[in-house]
Amino acid sequence: MALRNTTHRWGAIAQTFHWVIVALIIAQVTLAEMADDLPNGLRKLTLLARHKSIGITILGLVILRLAWRWLSEHPPLPENLKRYELALARFSHVALYVLLLAVPLTGWMFSSARGFPVSWFGFFQLPDLVPKSRPLYDALQMTHHTLAWTLIAVITLHVIGALKHHFWHKDDVLKRMLPFTRH
Amino acid sequence: MRPPILCRLLAAASLAVGLDAAAAPPLTSHYTLDPANSSLEFIFLQAGAKNTGRFPRFSVTLDSSGADPTGGRLEVTVDVAALDTGDKDRDDTLRSDDLFDVKHFPQAHFLATQIVKTGGGYEAVGALTIRGMTRETRVPFTFREATEGGATVGYLAGRTIVRRLDFGVGQGEWQATDQAGNEVTVSFTLRLTRAAP
Repeated sequence: MALRNTTHRWGAIAQTFHWVIVALIIAQVTLAEMADDLPNGLRKLTLLARHKSIGITILGLVILRLAWRWLSEHPPLPENLKRYELALARFSHVALYVLLLAVPLTGWMFSSARGFPVSWFGFFQLPDLVPKSRPLYDALQMTHHTLAWTLIAVITLHVIGALKHHFWHKDDVLKRMLPFTRH
Repeated sequence: MRPPILCRLLAAASLAVGLDAAAAPPLTSHYTLDPANSSLEFIFLQAGAKNTGRFPRFSVTLDSSGADPTGGRLEVTVDVAALDTGDKDRDDTLRSDDLFDVKHFPQAHFLATQIVKTGGGYEAVGALTIRGMTRETRVPFTFREATEGGATVGYLAGRTIVRRLDFGVGQGEWQATDQAGNEVTVSFTLRLTRAAP
């Protein structure tokens, strides 16, 4: 598999971005749900610290991924799509990128608003994005939560779309993002 | 039987201290805290991120023989239970049994009976008690006296690092330092007012 994208296949770099982010999102949801069930204490702090570090990692990867997408060509959507299918595909891809940026950003912001600065795996501390404020914290926490669930909904739509292409349209839309497949 | 060498040394040392104290000038200046213009803060690392808090209630007295605190006496009492990091959950965690245990140890105390001059200012040498445990601690500080509106005031400032585990602040799982760092920076900026002699 080539590193760069071609007009009919995602390259190794784009695929790595895609699948690493998939794995990190699964970790994020797991950590958030585990932490939610815990009483305040060291274990909760530990899980939330990991959640924040991974969130910042996703934010960084998404920025790099968008830059890579912008810099390199990429395989277009199939030509035989209906208008609404095309619109849905475009909408869901834009929504995915926007949410992949917005969810970590609002998480970082609500952490700042709560007065819990964010560090990246203990290696360095990130600046506070907003001043400490309880009302701001409440609003941002709700936004983070809502956006996270919206992201999960759009991901579900994205997965259904990919599976529909593979099993219904029998095209290569799914396969061109899968490693170890021949084309 | 001859007394062990250590005992004789200690006896000699205490005699020397006694002579020294007798020779020292009397502590005529008595300063107390101006709480509205003073702050006592602490900074600790939580998962690699700096968390800051303050102790809004504490008292300070400084006795010296004049504008130079060398040879003086400094006493600080801190209402630990009143600690404030700006977050109730975090404050309650810090007050809990495994950390400050404020139910049993509501106060921290520092009594320096020895103040020495250093290159950059002074150093208070004394006993720091937190969570019922006492350790000899050296706290560097700067001090200057000023006259404001006819009254004599003193500005005392400094910062020092306290290792929380030396005082048992961190029992059970909190003995681990990867999430909550052992080193806590304590910084203080104090305005003291001098009582009329």
